[in-house]
Amino acid sequence: MKRFLIVALTGAVLSGAALAQQGKAGDYVWNAPDPEKDRALAHKADPVAGKVAYEVCRGCHRADASGRADAIYPQLAGQHTTVLIKQLVDVRAGRRHNPKMEPFVSAEVLSAEDIGNIASYLALLPTPTNNGKGDGSKLALGERLYRENCVRCHGNYGEGSAQAFYPVVASQHYEYLFKELQMIRDGERRNSYPEMVQVIKGYGDDELRALSDYMSRLVLPANR
Amino acid sequence: MNGDKFRKIAALALLGALPAASALAQPVGDAARGRELVEQNCIACHGVDGNGPVPSFPKVAGLHYEYTIKQLHEFQGKRRPSEIMQPIAAVLTEQQVQDVALYFASQRAVPVDTVDASLLPLGRKLYEDGNSDSGVPACAGCHGTEGRGNARFPRLAGQFQEYVVAQIQQFAEGKRTNDKRMMQVIANRLTAEEVQAVAHYIASMP
Ligand code: HEC
Ligand code: HEC
Ligand code: HEC
Ligand code: HEC
Repeated sequence: MKRFLIVALTGAVLSGAALAQQGKAGDYVWNAPDPEKDRALAHKADPVAGKVAYEVCRGCHRADASGRADAIYPQLAGQHTTVLIKQLVDVRAGRRHNPKMEPFVSAEVLSAEDIGNIASYLALLPTPTNNGKGDGSKLALGERLYRENCVRCHGNYGEGSAQAFYPVVASQHYEYLFKELQMIRDGERRNSYPEMVQVIKGYGDDELRALSDYMSRLVLPANR
Repeated sequence: MNGDKFRKIAALALLGALPAASALAQPVGDAARGRELVEQNCIACHGVDGNGPVPSFPKVAGLHYEYTIKQLHEFQGKRRPSEIMQPIAAVLTEQQVQDVALYFASQRAVPVDTVDASLLPLGRKLYEDGNSDSGVPACAGCHGTEGRGNARFPRLAGQFQEYVVAQIQQFAEGKRTNDKRMMQVIANRLTAEEVQAVAHYIASMP
């Protein structure tokens, strides 16, 4: 299991550097090298220690990492280690704004190695499918837009890509997805992928809601 | 693919089976010697069984070994304020610190029976669910669903409401700072009403 993780992570670090080149917008470079992120990615992760370190997160993201549909706390269970590490480091570095969470993921509380351990633990957890969903009224629109514009990065099943730092979006809470899409479109999530921002720039809230509802109903294949 | 699936299942099984890393450290000390020390130096405020007679002095029964040692070291090093406890801790040897920590851990806290029942529903909600509007995490997340705590997060169940309120006040004012800033943030996000409610709920927990 450990060997598998290390191989996966080493691969991810290498391709992360290459991918950063495609994520430029002006001065901003998406997923640029960051000493703390690189330490967390390279760390020989220990999911058992990660389970203990995750205790400080349970009060919001819950013990099974299913988050909360009503409170816009995302589901973390089954997310890729690379994505989890990047997002946590981005919050610490101020690239992603999250004042509610920031004090609990500060350097005082977690080392870069703790972040790697937590990510390896969360990635192993099964993703619950009783997540918050939309009203189901625009699923056809959501499906069409997703197939046309999102599938090449986020995958047929919403499985994203660990190698490429593309998040899992399957079975994520509807309200969280909608809020993130709005923030990404409106330039309020400062760690976004420029190519994706281009794709959703012209979308209205109705289209973002349709996409969010569709993604919230995607289910990861059992043998992922 | 199937190989990955197998490894994932195997890893999950491992996670369930292994004890937390912190549980592996073997405590040292002598609980019987600890009890003798408590009978001589601590009994007036904390009681012989750690369920003190007066609500302004915390219950120490059932506190985890690591937590008690950390607090006594911090009183000694003046990293946790208390005009009462600093001089008392200052004269303890390391052996005595370990002995009382082991003794307190072996005692059982009894719940408080003077709580205001009308506050319990709100207190319970905060304890188990937090307040997501203001960003208060559920206390259960760190202190455990039953308030038993662990080596890092103190036991709370059965603690006097007066002491809980006083500590949250200290955190909010930045006077107690041995919490890696987590409780200071939480204390500042709680309203006065919420502090009372959650303190009474904690006191009522068995
Ligand atoms: C006080 C509540 C709170 C605590 C405690 C907390 N989080 Fe969060 N977390 C949030 C919120 C709220 C968001 C969503 C922010 C947003 O809207 O973008 C979030 C988002 C995240 C994300 C981004 C997920 C994604 O899909 O991009 C990660 C990763 C994360 N949290 C991990 C953690 C970890 C690990 C811990 C513990 C070390 C933790 N959180 C503790 C509230 C919290
Ligand atoms: C070119 C690749 C690419 C395309 C196309 C793309 N995305 Fe993304 N998406 C990303 C990356 C990379 C991130 C993570 C950015 C970061 O590092 O914070 C992301 C993040 C997201 C998130 C936030 C996930 C979370 O957990 O916070 C959502 C939701 C999302 N994308 C939905 C979509 C939708 C819907 C579409 C199609 C309309 C789309 N994406 C198209 C690459 C892409
Ligand atoms: C004169 C009363 C008094 C005596 C005697 C006393 N204590 Fe205390 N103790 C206190 C008070 C008051 C506090 C709370 C300090 C504060 O305000 O933070 C406390 C706190 C503590 C705590 C921290 C509890 C927690 O939940 O964080 C420990 C451990 C402790 N005492 C151990 C001892 C030991 C061991 C002795 C005997 C060697 C002792 N005390 C004697 C009054 C006393
Ligand atoms: C993110 C983890 C976390 C959460 C969530 C949390 N606490 Fe704490 N709590 C701590 C830490 C850390 C300490 C201090 C440990 C130390 O002194 O070593 C602490 C200490 C305390 C103490 C002092 C106990 C004593 O014996 O002196 C009280 C009271 C307390 N917390 C109440 C609460 C309440 C009430 C909530 C929910 C509203 C809560 N905590 C939620 C981490 C947490």
